[in-house]
Amino acid sequence: MVFVQVITGGLLLGAIYALFSSGLTLIWGMMNFINFAHGEFVMLGMYVALLVMVWLAGGPAIFGIAAAVALAALGIVIYFSLIRHVIRGPMLAQILSTFGLALLLRYSAFWIFSSNFRSLPPNALSGTINLGGVFLPVAQLVAGVAAIALTIALHLLLTQTTVGSKLLAVAEDRTAAMLMGIRPDRMQALAWGLSAGAAGIAGALMATAYPWSPSVGETFGLIAFVVVALGGFGSVLGSLYAGLIIGLIQAVSAYWLGAIYKDIVVYGLFVALLWFRPQGLMGKA
Amino acid sequence: MKNLAVPHLRLVLLAAALLAYPLVFSSAFYRDVGVTFLLAAISASAWNIVGGYAGQVSVGHSMFFGLGAYTPLLFYTLFGWSPIAGIPVGIVLSVVLAVVIGMPTFRLTGHYFSMATIAVAELIRIFVGTWDFVGAAIGLQGPAVARGWWDLTFRSELPYYYVFLAVLAVVLVTTAIVESRRFGFYLRAIKASERAARSLGVPVRQTKLKALALSAAFTSVAGSLYACKTGFIDPDSGFGILVSVQMVIVAALGGAGMLFGPLLGAAILIPLQTATNTWFGGGGSGLTYILYGGIIVLIARFEPGGLFELWHRIWPQRRSRAHAA
Amino acid sequence: MLLEAINVSKAFGSFLAVSGADLSVAEHEIIGLIGPNGAGKSTFFNCLAGDTLPTTGRIVFDGNDVTRASPEAHARAGIGRTFQVPATFEDMTVLENVMVGAYLRHPHRNDARDHARRIVELTGLRPDQPGRSLGTPGRKRLGIARVLATEPRLLLLDESLAGLTPTELQEAIALVRRVHETGVTIVIVEHIMEVIMTLTKRVLVFNQGHVIASGTPEAVVKDEAVIEAYLGRAHRRPAPERTP
Repeated sequence: MVFVQVITGGLLLGAIYALFSSGLTLIWGMMNFINFAHGEFVMLGMYVALLVMVWLAGGPAIFGIAAAVALAALGIVIYFSLIRHVIRGPMLAQILSTFGLALLLRYSAFWIFSSNFRSLPPNALSGTINLGGVFLPVAQLVAGVAAIALTIALHLLLTQTTVGSKLLAVAEDRTAAMLMGIRPDRMQALAWGLSAGAAGIAGALMATAYPWSPSVGETFGLIAFVVVALGGFGSVLGSLYAGLIIGLIQAVSAYWLGAIYKDIVVYGLFVALLWFRPQGLMGKA
Repeated sequence: MKNLAVPHLRLVLLAAALLAYPLVFSSAFYRDVGVTFLLAAISASAWNIVGGYAGQVSVGHSMFFGLGAYTPLLFYTLFGWSPIAGIPVGIVLSVVLAVVIGMPTFRLTGHYFSMATIAVAELIRIFVGTWDFVGAAIGLQGPAVARGWWDLTFRSELPYYYVFLAVLAVVLVTTAIVESRRFGFYLRAIKASERAARSLGVPVRQTKLKALALSAAFTSVAGSLYACKTGFIDPDSGFGILVSVQMVIVAALGGAGMLFGPLLGAAILIPLQTATNTWFGGGGSGLTYILYGGIIVLIARFEPGGLFELWHRIWPQRRSRAHAA
Repeated sequence: MLLEAINVSKAFGSFLAVSGADLSVAEHEIIGLIGPNGAGKSTFFNCLAGDTLPTTGRIVFDGNDVTRASPEAHARAGIGRTFQVPATFEDMTVLENVMVGAYLRHPHRNDARDHARRIVELTGLRPDQPGRSLGTPGRKRLGIARVLATEPRLLLLDESLAGLTPTELQEAIALVRRVHETGVTIVIVEHIMEVIMTLTKRVLVFNQGHVIASGTPEAVVKDEAVIEAYLGRAHRRPAPERTP
């Protein structure tokens, strides 16, 4: 029974991993660009949730949307002020741009919020629920399910809507897309908005169930890399499967080997993937 | 003829200034700043070989630094040997690690390599923190009292300063030699366009691996020097991301891919860092990294070539490279 | 036969870009590859150059099977190529750019530099000019100079003469002729008919993935199948034109 508990917990957390990683994979698929600050977007989503709760007494729905909107706006701003310029430049500029951004966001958060771990004040999602002998915090359950739904929604957005097909067109062939009247610049900005928004709302969801500090951004960023590498760079559906798998692996490793080893296993998996299957489960290399 | 004399004169003046510094600024504080400056210059110059010249941006170079820092103190702790015994071991381990990381990632685009470096550095940091054999979270210590010169444990900063200066000279001379020979040309070609380089017969993957291995070896030595100087190492000071960050920003600020770029970067950042640490006390380190993050973003956005590039842009002059005359 | 491509096909998923293409090039020939856009000639060209792996078929150079050889191995074997969009090494001077090529056969700096200087003179460039300050014609010429420095026996030119003014085009044609006279075998992919008519002795025409005609330029231009393939594209007049 404890084992079932572990597995369920792992899958639920993995669902959130899937959601924010799908943002990262979207950017990679569209622009062949890795956002080293993606974990920080998640972390900021968590703090937005906290601030909205504390200042505006908003409930989960409110702060979830607030986090999505705030981070989406940030993503678009970052695209126009920074990414657009470095994407055509040398690799050094591309890597350093978001790497520096990560530092900036992370240490600003340390400065403003201190390094103490936080939790959200009691809210609509507090408390535990008993599902057939498995005790779960309500927040974990809701967050996990919401994350899966949102990831699938993102996938459907990309594959079933006009906007989505425009995004994919730009990813496929920028020049051809331009000839069809699509503005690649706008589409890429939109992708950044979606990517950051996904990270933001994932952060808000996570904040309901797990304590955090500014340091979590670094970990989430790396987890996103692993999920995207496993699921395939560019595939949102791949991120979904991979996120769940990684969450599961992490929970099981913590259970069998000890909590300190859970990250080691995940990062080790990443290195193994790079060696043996860089294109992941479902993506293009 | 006049142009020929000037660069050499500048070099002589620089060498003289570096040699005389600790004698002129002889307080412990200034000498310590000097030692910190040299260490930063050595690590950043080591990073520069693969990150600046070859354009393969490692953001996890601390893995090599940490290996080089742990091995001397480990040999001392386990067997009571002089820390010097650990230095070659650190180099060998670093080179092996470099090859292990480079082999799969160098056949993919540059982003994979960068991601791999950050993941592996973090992996090692966490792992070392759990391994009692190497001190786990507490870390390792060096000789408290020197048993002889070979313990590299000095009371005064002065011997450290000159040892570090000698190592810096070795790194810079090696880089200069690389720059002027085929290997250096191939590195710069790879950075500019891998596809074109390949079509001209450049063995891209092997060249990148060699650059990474060389860079790793020198970074390892820098780590060893650090461990000998501070007499202490733990997972964060050895393998932490901030170690990697400093190498990158020092090189990039001065000018990645230029021989003296890292030196310039260190000359600006180390005094700056010392100042902010002094003014803001303990909390200063938080502000320092906010500043670092901002500087890195500005460099990426406006001048990836660093200050040297900016200088050349404002005052265009014929750049003399030793080989092109 | 210096180069032989036997039954080469390349599929991208279910799309067959090249199907059953054959090519024989004897030493010292100049061959042209033409065809409408999307006809497969560029893909075939990339197979010859080692940038694309053929799905089926064999490519033999000077008796050696190079079907699966890497671009680096191609260069070492003596096959050189230029790119449609030349990737100049921006931060290096013209001479340094060419030296990168020269270093293939001349590992020592002084030899490489001397060899590179000779090539730079042959192509009419200025050695100390920074790579980034070159205009398009200079970059294309530099692309040719760079690969020449690797001393290829076979040179694959990928639309290297597009986007030039009439004067520049004549200079470029003269350069290619000079290169050919030094003993290099050349295969040119081109849209510009003047280049094909004046330089090449034999032409292969691609359409929809395979060779639909081959022969002298004059014969090929009058071939019914070729005219039909180009229907709608005004390639009738053998006059120099700008390619978009």
